[in-house]
Amino acid sequence: MKNFIEVTELKKVFGNGEDEVHAFGPATININSGEFVSVLGPSGCGKSTLMLMVAGLLDSTSGKVEFENKVVNGPKTDIGIMFQDNTLVPWRTVRGNIELQLELRGLNLKDYQEKINNILKSVNLDDFADRFPNELSGGMQQRAAFCQAMIHDPKIILLDEPLGKLDAMTREKIRADFQKLWMVKKPTVIFVTHSIEEAVQLSNRVILITPRPGKIDREIKIDLPYPRDLQIKRSAKFTEYVNSIQEVFHKYGVI
Amino acid sequence: MKKFIKWIASGWMLILFFVGFFLFWEYSIPLFDIPRYILPSPSEIVLKGSADLDKLVYYTGVTALETVLGYIIALILGVGFGIAISFSSILRRTLYPFFVSIEMTPKIAFAPLFISWFGFGLMPKVIIVVLVCFFPIVLNAILAFNSLSNELTLFYQSTGASRLKTFFSIRLPAALPQCFVGFKYAAINATVGATIAEFIGSDKGLGFYISIVTGNMRPDLAFAGIFFLTVLGLTIFGFVTMMEKILIPWHISMKRINK
Repeated sequence: MKNFIEVTELKKVFGNGEDEVHAFGPATININSGEFVSVLGPSGCGKSTLMLMVAGLLDSTSGKVEFENKVVNGPKTDIGIMFQDNTLVPWRTVRGNIELQLELRGLNLKDYQEKINNILKSVNLDDFADRFPNELSGGMQQRAAFCQAMIHDPKIILLDEPLGKLDAMTREKIRADFQKLWMVKKPTVIFVTHSIEEAVQLSNRVILITPRPGKIDREIKIDLPYPRDLQIKRSAKFTEYVNSIQEVFHKYGVI
Repeated sequence: MKKFIKWIASGWMLILFFVGFFLFWEYSIPLFDIPRYILPSPSEIVLKGSADLDKLVYYTGVTALETVLGYIIALILGVGFGIAISFSSILRRTLYPFFVSIEMTPKIAFAPLFISWFGFGLMPKVIIVVLVCFFPIVLNAILAFNSLSNELTLFYQSTGASRLKTFFSIRLPAALPQCFVGFKYAAINATVGATIAEFIGSDKGLGFYISIVTGNMRPDLAFAGIFFLTVLGLTIFGFVTMMEKILIPWHISMKRINK
Protein backbone atom coordinates (compact mmCIF):
# COMPACT_ATOMS: atom_id res chain seq x y z
CA MET A 1 0.00 0.00 0.00
CA LYS A 2 1.20 3.43 -0.83
CA ASN A 3 1.48 6.16 1.75
CA PHE A 4 -1.19 8.78 2.37
CA ILE A 5 1.11 11.63 1.43
CA GLU A 6 4.16 11.03 -0.74
CA VAL A 7 6.63 13.80 -1.37
CA THR A 8 9.20 12.84 -4.01
CA GLU A 9 12.42 14.74 -4.75
CA LEU A 10 10.63 18.00 -4.00
CA LYS A 11 12.69 21.14 -4.59
CA LYS A 12 12.10 24.88 -4.61
CA VAL A 13 14.28 27.59 -6.12
CA PHE A 14 13.10 31.18 -5.92
CA GLY A 15 14.03 33.76 -8.57
CA ASN A 16 16.39 33.03 -11.45
CA GLY A 17 19.84 33.93 -12.75
CA GLU A 18 21.97 35.78 -10.24
CA ASP A 19 19.06 36.34 -7.85
CA GLU A 20 18.47 32.62 -7.60
CA VAL A 21 17.85 31.36 -4.07
CA HIS A 22 17.79 27.65 -3.47
CA ALA A 23 15.19 27.50 -0.72
CA PHE A 24 14.44 23.84 -0.23
CA GLY A 25 15.20 20.27 -1.20
CA PRO A 26 15.39 18.01 -2.95
CA ALA A 27 13.66 15.92 -0.30
CA THR A 28 11.54 12.78 -0.16
CA ILE A 29 9.04 12.28 2.65
CA ASN A 30 6.26 9.79 3.27
CA ILE A 31 3.46 10.45 5.71
CA ASN A 32 0.81 8.02 6.91
CA SER A 33 -2.83 8.84 7.40
CA GLY A 34 -3.51 10.14 10.90
CA GLU A 35 0.13 10.75 11.61
CA PHE A 36 1.36 13.83 13.48
CA VAL A 37 4.61 14.85 11.79
CA SER A 38 6.74 17.77 12.85
CA VAL A 39 9.07 19.52 10.46
CA LEU A 40 11.81 20.94 12.62
CA GLY A 41 14.56 23.25 11.49
CA PRO A 42 16.27 26.60 11.97
CA SER A 43 14.53 29.70 10.62
CA GLY A 44 15.05 30.22 6.91
CA CYS A 45 15.60 26.52 6.18
CA GLY A 46 12.59 26.35 3.89
CA LYS A 47 10.28 24.37 6.14
CA SER A 48 7.34 26.73 5.52
CA THR A 49 8.10 26.48 1.80
CA LEU A 50 7.85 22.70 2.08
CA MET A 51 4.51 22.97 3.86
CA LEU A 52 3.04 25.32 1.24
CA MET A 53 4.21 23.06 -1.59
CA VAL A 54 2.61 20.05 0.09
CA ALA A 55 -0.65 22.04 0.31
CA GLY A 56 -0.40 22.96 -3.37
CA LEU A 57 -0.35 26.63 -2.39
CA LEU A 58 3.12 27.10 -3.87
CA ASP A 59 4.48 25.57 -7.07
CA SER A 60 7.56 23.42 -6.75
CA THR A 61 10.55 23.81 -9.04
CA SER A 62 10.90 20.05 -9.44
CA GLY A 63 9.64 16.87 -7.86
CA LYS A 64 6.07 16.04 -6.95
CA VAL A 65 3.58 15.72 -4.11
CA GLU A 66 0.95 12.98 -4.11
CA PHE A 67 -2.09 12.55 -1.90
CA GLU A 68 -3.52 9.04 -2.00
CA ASN A 69 -1.76 8.51 -5.34
CA LYS A 70 -3.11 11.73 -6.85
CA VAL A 71 -0.55 14.32 -7.91
CA VAL A 72 -1.10 17.77 -6.43
CA ASN A 73 -1.13 20.59 -8.96
CA GLY A 74 -3.05 23.50 -7.47
CA PRO A 75 -4.34 24.32 -3.97
CA LYS A 76 -5.59 21.35 -1.97
CA THR A 77 -8.96 22.11 -0.47
CA ASP A 78 -9.50 19.30 2.04
CA ILE A 79 -7.03 20.93 4.41
CA GLY A 80 -7.09 23.19 7.42
CA ILE A 81 -4.27 25.69 7.69
CA MET A 82 -2.84 27.82 10.47
CA PHE A 83 -0.01 30.32 10.49
CA GLN A 84 2.02 32.31 13.00
CA ASP A 85 -0.11 35.31 12.05
CA ASN A 86 -3.68 34.15 12.36
CA THR A 87 -6.23 34.23 9.58
CA LEU A 88 -9.00 35.81 11.63
CA VAL A 89 -10.61 38.81 9.94
CA PRO A 90 -11.22 41.81 12.22
CA TRP A 91 -14.77 42.50 10.98
CA ARG A 92 -16.17 39.19 12.16
CA THR A 93 -16.63 37.77 15.64
CA VAL A 94 -14.98 34.53 16.69
CA ARG A 95 -18.09 32.64 15.60
CA GLY A 96 -18.23 34.66 12.37
CA ASN A 97 -14.63 33.80 11.62
CA ILE A 98 -15.28 30.11 12.08
CA GLU A 99 -18.31 30.48 9.84
CA LEU A 100 -16.12 32.19 7.22
CA GLN A 101 -14.35 28.88 6.63
CA LEU A 102 -17.73 27.21 6.08
CA GLU A 103 -19.12 30.02 3.92
CA LEU A 104 -16.11 30.02 1.62
CA ARG A 105 -16.57 26.28 1.18
CA GLY A 106 -20.28 26.68 0.46
CA LEU A 107 -21.31 24.62 3.51
CA ASN A 108 -24.61 25.13 5.31
CA LEU A 109 -24.05 27.22 8.45
CA LYS A 110 -27.14 25.84 10.21
CA ASP A 111 -25.76 22.31 10.18
CA TYR A 112 -22.63 23.44 11.95
CA GLN A 113 -23.86 25.61 14.84
CA GLU A 114 -23.77 22.73 17.32
CA LYS A 115 -20.30 21.81 16.15
CA ILE A 116 -19.05 25.38 16.46
CA ASN A 117 -20.28 25.48 20.04
CA ASN A 118 -18.56 22.20 20.82
CA ILE A 119 -15.21 23.09 19.33
CA LEU A 120 -15.24 26.49 21.07
CA LYS A 121 -15.99 24.74 24.34
CA SER A 122 -13.13 22.32 23.81
CA VAL A 123 -10.64 25.21 23.72
CA ASN A 124 -12.43 27.20 26.47
CA LEU A 125 -13.60 29.94 24.13
CA ASP A 126 -17.34 29.35 24.50
CA ASP A 127 -17.78 32.61 26.40
CA PHE A 128 -16.01 34.54 23.66
CA ALA A 129 -17.96 33.38 20.60
CA ASP A 130 -19.42 36.84 20.02
CA ARG A 131 -16.24 38.81 20.66
CA PHE A 132 -14.14 40.34 17.92
CA PRO A 133 -10.54 39.14 17.47
CA ASN A 134 -9.07 42.43 18.65
CA GLU A 135 -10.86 41.98 21.97
CA LEU A 136 -8.97 38.73 22.61
CA SER A 137 -5.44 38.00 23.81
CA GLY A 138 -2.90 36.54 21.39
CA GLY A 139 -3.36 33.06 22.81
CA MET A 140 -7.14 33.24 22.55
CA GLN A 141 -6.85 34.47 18.97
CA GLN A 142 -4.70 31.47 18.08
CA ARG A 143 -7.20 29.12 19.71
CA ALA A 144 -9.98 30.76 17.69
CA ALA A 145 -7.86 30.37 14.56
CA PHE A 146 -7.43 26.71 15.45
CA CYS A 147 -11.23 26.29 15.58
CA GLN A 148 -11.44 28.05 12.22
CA ALA A 149 -8.92 25.64 10.73
CA MET A 150 -10.62 22.54 12.16
CA ILE A 151 -14.35 23.21 11.84
CA HIS A 152 -14.80 21.52 8.45
CA ASP A 153 -13.06 18.33 9.68
CA PRO A 154 -10.17 18.48 7.25
CA LYS A 155 -8.24 15.29 6.67
CA ILE A 156 -5.00 17.23 6.73
CA ILE A 157 -3.99 20.01 9.11
CA LEU A 158 -1.05 22.23 8.24
CA LEU A 159 0.39 24.25 11.09
CA ASP A 160 3.10 26.80 10.28
CA GLU A 161 4.60 27.85 13.62
CA PRO A 162 1.16 28.63 15.01
CA LEU A 163 2.53 29.20 18.50
CA GLY A 164 5.52 31.26 17.41
CA LYS A 165 4.37 34.57 18.81
CA LEU A 166 2.93 33.35 22.09
CA ASP A 167 4.39 33.38 25.55
CA ALA A 168 5.69 30.14 27.08
CA MET A 169 2.71 29.51 29.35
CA THR A 170 0.13 30.06 26.63
CA ARG A 171 2.07 27.81 24.27
CA GLU A 172 2.00 25.04 26.83
CA LYS A 173 -1.75 25.37 27.16
CA ILE A 174 -2.48 25.45 23.44
CA ARG A 175 -0.17 22.49 22.78
CA ALA A 176 -2.36 20.51 25.16
CA ASP A 177 -5.47 21.71 23.28
CA PHE A 178 -3.95 20.64 19.94
CA GLN A 179 -3.06 17.24 21.31
CA LYS A 180 -6.51 16.70 22.74
CA LEU A 181 -8.24 17.52 19.46
CA TRP A 182 -5.79 15.50 17.39
CA MET A 183 -6.31 12.44 19.60
CA VAL A 184 -10.06 12.64 19.09
CA LYS A 185 -10.23 13.39 15.36
CA LYS A 186 -6.95 11.86 14.16
CA PRO A 187 -6.31 14.11 11.19
CA THR A 188 -2.95 13.98 9.46
CA VAL A 189 -0.92 16.88 10.81
CA ILE A 190 2.16 18.55 9.42
CA PHE A 191 3.51 20.83 12.10
CA VAL A 192 6.24 23.28 11.15
CA THR A 193 8.20 24.54 14.13
CA HIS A 194 11.60 25.52 15.44
CA SER A 195 10.86 24.40 18.98
CA ILE A 196 12.45 21.04 19.67
CA GLU A 197 10.43 20.43 22.80
CA GLU A 198 7.18 21.21 21.02
CA ALA A 199 8.02 18.82 18.20
CA VAL A 200 8.92 15.99 20.58
CA GLN A 201 5.86 16.51 22.73
CA LEU A 202 3.33 16.46 19.93
CA SER A 203 4.63 14.26 17.13
CA ASN A 204 4.74 10.64 16.09
CA ARG A 205 7.73 11.55 14.00
CA VAL A 206 10.07 14.52 13.75
CA ILE A 207 11.73 15.41 10.47
CA LEU A 208 14.95 17.37 10.98
CA ILE A 209 15.74 19.91 8.28
CA THR A 210 19.26 21.24 7.67
CA PRO A 211 20.00 24.98 7.30
CA ARG A 212 19.26 26.44 3.86
CA PRO A 213 18.90 24.93 1.35
CA GLY A 214 16.80 22.69 3.58
CA LYS A 215 17.34 18.98 3.15
CA ILE A 216 16.29 16.16 5.42
CA ASP A 217 19.02 15.34 7.87
CA ARG A 218 17.14 12.48 9.52
CA GLU A 219 13.78 11.41 10.82
CA ILE A 220 13.23 10.52 14.44
CA LYS A 221 10.29 8.42 15.54
CA ILE A 222 9.04 9.55 18.93
CA ASP A 223 8.04 6.44 20.78
CA LEU A 224 6.14 7.87 23.73
CA PRO A 225 2.53 7.23 24.76
CA TYR A 226 -0.22 9.83 24.33
CA PRO A 227 -1.42 12.02 25.93
CA ARG A 228 1.98 13.48 26.54
CA ASP A 229 1.46 15.52 29.68
CA LEU A 230 3.89 17.01 32.18
CA GLN A 231 4.66 13.56 33.55
CA ILE A 232 5.98 12.41 30.20
CA LYS A 233 7.83 15.64 29.61
CA ARG A 234 9.76 15.05 32.82
CA SER A 235 10.66 11.48 31.81
CA ALA A 236 14.20 10.48 30.92
CA LYS A 237 13.15 9.28 27.49
CA PHE A 238 11.65 12.64 26.59
CA THR A 239 14.82 14.42 27.61
CA GLU A 240 16.84 11.92 25.62
CA TYR A 241 14.90 12.75 22.45
CA VAL A 242 15.31 16.46 23.01
CA ASN A 243 19.05 16.07 23.64
CA SER A 244 19.68 13.94 20.57
CA ILE A 245 17.91 16.50 18.37
CA GLN A 246 19.83 19.33 19.98
CA GLU A 247 23.05 17.53 19.13
CA VAL A 248 22.11 17.36 15.46
CA PHE A 249 21.49 21.08 15.27
CA HIS A 250 24.59 21.77 17.31
CA LYS A 251 26.56 19.94 14.65
CA TYR A 252 25.22 22.42 12.06
CA GLY A 253 26.18 25.33 14.24
CA VAL A 254 22.54 26.41 14.55
CA ILE A 255 22.53 26.16 18.34
CA MET B 1 -29.39 64.72 26.57
CA LYS B 2 -26.90 62.85 28.66
CA LYS B 3 -24.79 62.40 25.55
CA PHE B 4 -24.96 66.12 24.86
CA ILE B 5 -23.78 66.97 28.37
CA LYS B 6 -20.95 64.49 27.98
CA TRP B 7 -20.05 66.06 24.66
CA ILE B 8 -20.00 69.55 26.21
CA ALA B 9 -17.94 68.24 29.10
CA SER B 10 -15.32 66.73 26.80
CA GLY B 11 -15.32 69.60 24.32
CA TRP B 12 -15.50 72.59 26.64
CA MET B 13 -11.90 73.62 26.02
CA LEU B 14 -12.47 73.74 22.28
CA ILE B 15 -15.71 75.67 22.72
CA LEU B 16 -13.99 78.12 25.03
CA PHE B 17 -11.23 78.54 22.47
CA PHE B 18 -13.70 79.35 19.70
CA VAL B 19 -15.61 81.83 21.87
CA GLY B 20 -12.31 83.47 22.82
CA PHE B 21 -11.19 83.57 19.20
CA PHE B 22 -14.33 85.33 17.98
CA LEU B 23 -14.39 87.73 20.97
CA PHE B 24 -10.78 88.67 20.25
CA TRP B 25 -11.63 89.20 16.58
CA GLU B 26 -14.73 91.28 17.45
CA TYR B 27 -12.98 93.61 19.89
CA SER B 28 -9.58 93.92 18.26
CA ILE B 29 -11.14 95.63 15.24
CA PRO B 30 -12.13 98.86 17.08
CA LEU B 31 -9.10 98.44 19.35
CA PHE B 32 -6.56 98.48 16.52
CA ASP B 33 -8.72 100.70 14.34
CA ILE B 34 -8.90 98.26 11.41
CA PRO B 35 -10.99 99.65 8.54
CA ARG B 36 -14.07 97.50 7.78
CA TYR B 37 -13.17 97.19 4.07
CA ILE B 38 -10.01 95.33 5.17
CA LEU B 39 -11.44 93.12 7.90
CA PRO B 40 -15.03 93.22 9.13
CA SER B 41 -16.00 92.08 12.62
CA PRO B 42 -17.88 88.79 13.14
CA SER B 43 -21.06 90.61 14.16
CA GLU B 44 -20.99 92.66 10.97
CA ILE B 45 -20.45 89.50 8.88
CA VAL B 46 -23.53 87.93 10.47
CA LEU B 47 -25.59 91.10 10.04
CA LYS B 48 -24.72 91.84 6.41
CA GLY B 49 -24.59 88.18 5.49
CA SER B 50 -28.12 87.54 6.74
CA ALA B 51 -29.39 90.36 4.51
CA ASP B 52 -27.98 88.40 1.56
CA LEU B 53 -29.20 85.03 2.91
CA ASP B 54 -31.43 84.06 -0.04
CA LYS B 55 -28.59 84.40 -2.48
CA LEU B 56 -26.12 82.64 -0.19
CA VAL B 57 -28.43 79.66 0.30
CA TYR B 58 -29.14 79.39 -3.41
CA TYR B 59 -25.43 79.57 -4.28
CA THR B 60 -24.63 77.01 -1.60
CA GLY B 61 -27.04 74.69 -3.37
CA VAL B 62 -25.32 75.34 -6.71
CA THR B 63 -21.85 74.64 -5.33
CA ALA B 64 -23.13 71.65 -3.37
CA LEU B 65 -24.57 70.12 -6.55
CA GLU B 66 -21.24 70.51 -8.41
CA THR B 67 -19.26 69.14 -5.48
CA VAL B 68 -21.48 66.17 -4.69
CA LEU B 69 -21.94 65.17 -8.34
CA GLY B 70 -18.20 65.36 -8.97
CA TYR B 71 -17.41 63.51 -5.77
CA ILE B 72 -19.79 60.64 -6.51
CA ILE B 73 -18.49 60.27 -10.07
CA ALA B 74 -14.90 60.29 -8.78
CA LEU B 75 -15.86 57.69 -6.17
CA ILE B 76 -17.32 55.30 -8.73
CA LEU B 77 -14.47 55.79 -11.21
CA GLY B 78 -11.77 55.71 -8.53
CA VAL B 79 -12.92 52.50 -6.87
CA GLY B 80 -13.67 50.92 -10.25
CA PHE B 81 -10.22 51.68 -11.64
CA GLY B 82 -8.64 50.80 -8.29
CA ILE B 83 -10.15 47.31 -8.36
CA ALA B 84 -9.36 46.84 -12.06
CA ILE B 85 -5.74 47.88 -11.57
CA SER B 86 -5.21 45.67 -8.53
CA PHE B 87 -6.57 42.62 -10.34
CA SER B 88 -4.91 43.12 -13.75
CA SER B 89 -1.15 42.98 -14.11
CA ILE B 90 -1.35 44.69 -17.51
CA LEU B 91 -3.20 47.69 -16.06
CA ARG B 92 -0.82 47.70 -13.11
CA ARG B 93 2.08 48.20 -15.50
CA THR B 94 0.38 50.80 -17.69
CA LEU B 95 -2.42 52.76 -16.02
CA TYR B 96 -0.94 52.72 -12.53
CA PRO B 97 2.37 54.50 -13.34
CA PHE B 98 0.37 56.86 -15.56
CA PHE B 99 -1.91 57.77 -12.66
CA VAL B 100 1.03 58.15 -10.29
CA SER B 101 2.77 60.59 -12.68
CA ILE B 102 -0.41 62.61 -13.25
CA GLU B 103 -0.90 62.77 -9.49
CA MET B 104 2.21 64.97 -9.42
CA THR B 105 0.66 67.69 -11.60
CA PRO B 106 -1.57 70.14 -9.78
CA LYS B 107 -4.94 69.17 -11.27
CA ILE B 108 -6.39 72.59 -10.61
CA ALA B 109 -4.05 73.97 -13.32
CA PHE B 110 -6.34 72.29 -15.86
CA ALA B 111 -9.33 74.31 -14.66
CA PRO B 112 -9.04 77.26 -17.13
CA LEU B 113 -8.70 74.77 -20.00
CA PHE B 114 -11.85 72.92 -19.01
CA ILE B 115 -13.76 76.19 -18.72
CA SER B 116 -12.61 77.17 -22.21
CA TRP B 117 -13.52 73.74 -23.61
CA PHE B 118 -16.85 73.19 -21.90
CA GLY B 119 -18.12 76.70 -21.13
CA PHE B 120 -19.55 78.24 -17.95
CA GLY B 121 -22.13 75.59 -17.10
CA LEU B 122 -22.28 72.79 -14.57
CA MET B 123 -20.19 70.31 -16.55
CA PRO B 124 -16.71 71.87 -16.38
CA LYS B 125 -17.07 72.34 -12.59
CA VAL B 126 -18.09 68.73 -12.12
CA ILE B 127 -15.15 67.62 -14.27
CA ILE B 128 -12.72 69.63 -12.18
CA VAL B 129 -14.13 68.20 -8.94
CA VAL B 130 -13.85 64.70 -10.43
CA LEU B 131 -10.25 65.38 -11.40
CA VAL B 132 -9.32 66.66 -7.95
CA CYS B 133 -11.08 63.80 -6.12
CA PHE B 134 -10.27 60.90 -8.44
CA PHE B 135 -6.56 60.53 -7.73
CA PRO B 136 -6.57 60.20 -3.95
CA ILE B 137 -9.46 57.76 -4.26
CA VAL B 138 -7.92 55.59 -6.97
CA LEU B 139 -4.42 55.52 -5.47
CA ASN B 140 -5.72 54.55 -2.03
CA ALA B 141 -8.05 51.96 -3.57
CA ILE B 142 -5.13 50.33 -5.40
CA LEU B 143 -3.16 50.24 -2.16
CA ALA B 144 -6.21 48.90 -0.33
CA PHE B 145 -6.92 46.04 -2.70
CA ASN B 146 -3.25 45.03 -2.88
CA SER B 147 -2.51 44.85 0.82
CA LEU B 148 -4.28 41.65 1.81
CA SER B 149 -2.00 39.65 4.09
CA ASN B 150 -0.22 36.64 2.67
CA GLU B 151 -1.85 34.41 5.29
CA LEU B 152 -5.39 35.41 4.34
CA THR B 153 -4.61 34.89 0.67
CA LEU B 154 -3.35 31.36 1.35
CA PHE B 155 -6.32 30.73 3.63
CA TYR B 156 -8.95 31.53 1.02
CA GLN B 157 -7.01 29.62 -1.64
CA SER B 158 -7.14 26.56 0.60
CA THR B 159 -10.94 26.75 0.72
CA GLY B 160 -11.33 26.56 -3.04
CA ALA B 161 -13.82 29.46 -2.96
CA SER B 162 -14.59 31.31 -6.21
CA ARG B 163 -12.96 34.67 -6.92
CA LEU B 164 -16.30 36.43 -6.63
CA LYS B 165 -17.09 34.90 -3.26
CA THR B 166 -13.60 35.69 -2.00
CA PHE B 167 -13.93 39.23 -3.20
CA PHE B 168 -17.10 39.94 -1.24
CA SER B 169 -16.19 37.88 1.83
CA ILE B 170 -12.57 38.94 2.27
CA ARG B 171 -10.98 41.30 -0.25
CA LEU B 172 -13.63 44.01 -0.21
CA PRO B 173 -14.14 44.32 3.57
CA ALA B 174 -10.37 44.11 4.11
CA ALA B 175 -9.86 46.98 1.66
CA LEU B 176 -12.50 49.36 3.06
CA PRO B 177 -10.43 51.07 5.80
CA GLN B 178 -7.68 52.11 3.37
CA CYS B 179 -10.32 53.11 0.78
CA PHE B 180 -11.86 55.47 3.30
CA VAL B 181 -8.52 57.23 3.74
CA GLY B 182 -8.85 58.24 0.09
CA PHE B 183 -12.57 59.03 0.37
CA LYS B 184 -11.95 61.41 3.26
CA TYR B 185 -9.01 63.13 1.62
CA ALA B 186 -11.07 63.57 -1.55
CA ALA B 187 -14.00 64.92 0.46
CA ILE B 188 -11.76 67.70 1.79
CA ASN B 189 -10.53 68.53 -1.71
CA ALA B 190 -13.93 68.41 -3.39
CA THR B 191 -15.15 71.85 -2.28
CA VAL B 192 -11.74 73.33 -3.07
CA GLY B 193 -12.07 72.13 -6.65
CA ALA B 194 -15.60 73.47 -7.06
CA THR B 195 -14.69 76.86 -5.57
CA ILE B 196 -11.66 77.40 -7.78
CA ALA B 197 -13.59 76.29 -10.85
CA GLU B 198 -16.20 78.93 -10.00
CA PHE B 199 -13.51 81.58 -9.45
CA ILE B 200 -12.26 80.99 -12.98
CA GLY B 201 -15.50 81.11 -14.87
CA SER B 202 -19.10 80.98 -13.69
CA ASP B 203 -22.24 83.02 -13.14
CA LYS B 204 -23.40 81.40 -9.91
CA GLY B 205 -22.15 79.47 -6.90
CA LEU B 206 -20.28 80.38 -3.74
CA GLY B 207 -16.91 80.73 -5.51
CA PHE B 208 -18.51 83.13 -7.97
CA TYR B 209 -20.15 85.05 -5.10
CA ILE B 210 -16.91 85.38 -3.12
CA SER B 211 -14.93 86.63 -6.11
CA ILE B 212 -17.64 89.20 -7.02
CA VAL B 213 -18.15 90.67 -3.53
CA THR B 214 -14.39 90.80 -2.95
CA GLY B 215 -14.10 92.84 -6.15
CA ASN B 216 -16.79 95.14 -4.78
CA MET B 217 -14.77 95.75 -1.60
CA ARG B 218 -17.22 93.77 0.53
CA PRO B 219 -15.06 91.50 2.69
CA ASP B 220 -18.02 91.08 5.09
CA LEU B 221 -20.01 89.29 2.38
CA ALA B 222 -16.92 87.36 1.29
CA PHE B 223 -16.60 86.02 4.84
CA ALA B 224 -20.28 85.10 4.82
CA GLY B 225 -19.63 83.13 1.61
CA ILE B 226 -16.60 81.46 3.17
CA PHE B 227 -18.73 80.50 6.16
CA PHE B 228 -21.26 78.75 3.92
CA LEU B 229 -18.45 77.00 2.03
CA THR B 230 -17.04 75.76 5.33
CA VAL B 231 -20.44 74.43 6.37
CA LEU B 232 -20.75 72.68 3.00
CA GLY B 233 -17.29 71.13 3.33
CA LEU B 234 -17.95 70.02 6.90
CA THR B 235 -21.27 68.47 5.89
CA ILE B 236 -19.70 66.42 3.11
CA PHE B 237 -16.80 65.34 5.29
CA GLY B 238 -19.16 64.54 8.15
CA PHE B 239 -21.30 62.42 5.85
CA VAL B 240 -18.28 60.43 4.64
CA THR B 241 -17.10 59.92 8.24
CA MET B 242 -20.58 58.75 9.17
CA MET B 243 -20.55 56.24 6.31
CA GLU B 244 -17.21 54.99 7.55
CA LYS B 245 -18.68 54.41 11.00
CA ILE B 246 -21.66 52.59 9.53
CA LEU B 247 -19.76 50.46 7.01
CA ILE B 248 -16.69 49.56 9.05
CA PRO B 249 -17.61 49.90 12.72
CA TRP B 250 -15.05 47.21 13.54
CA HIS B 251 -12.28 49.45 12.27
CA ILE B 252 -13.28 52.43 14.39
CA SER B 253 -13.57 50.32 17.52
CA MET B 254 -10.20 48.75 16.79
CA LYS B 255 -8.57 52.16 16.70
CA ARG B 256 -10.17 53.13 19.99
CA ILE B 257 -8.98 50.03 21.78
CA ASN B 258 -5.46 50.34 20.45
CA LYS B 259 -5.20 53.76 22.01
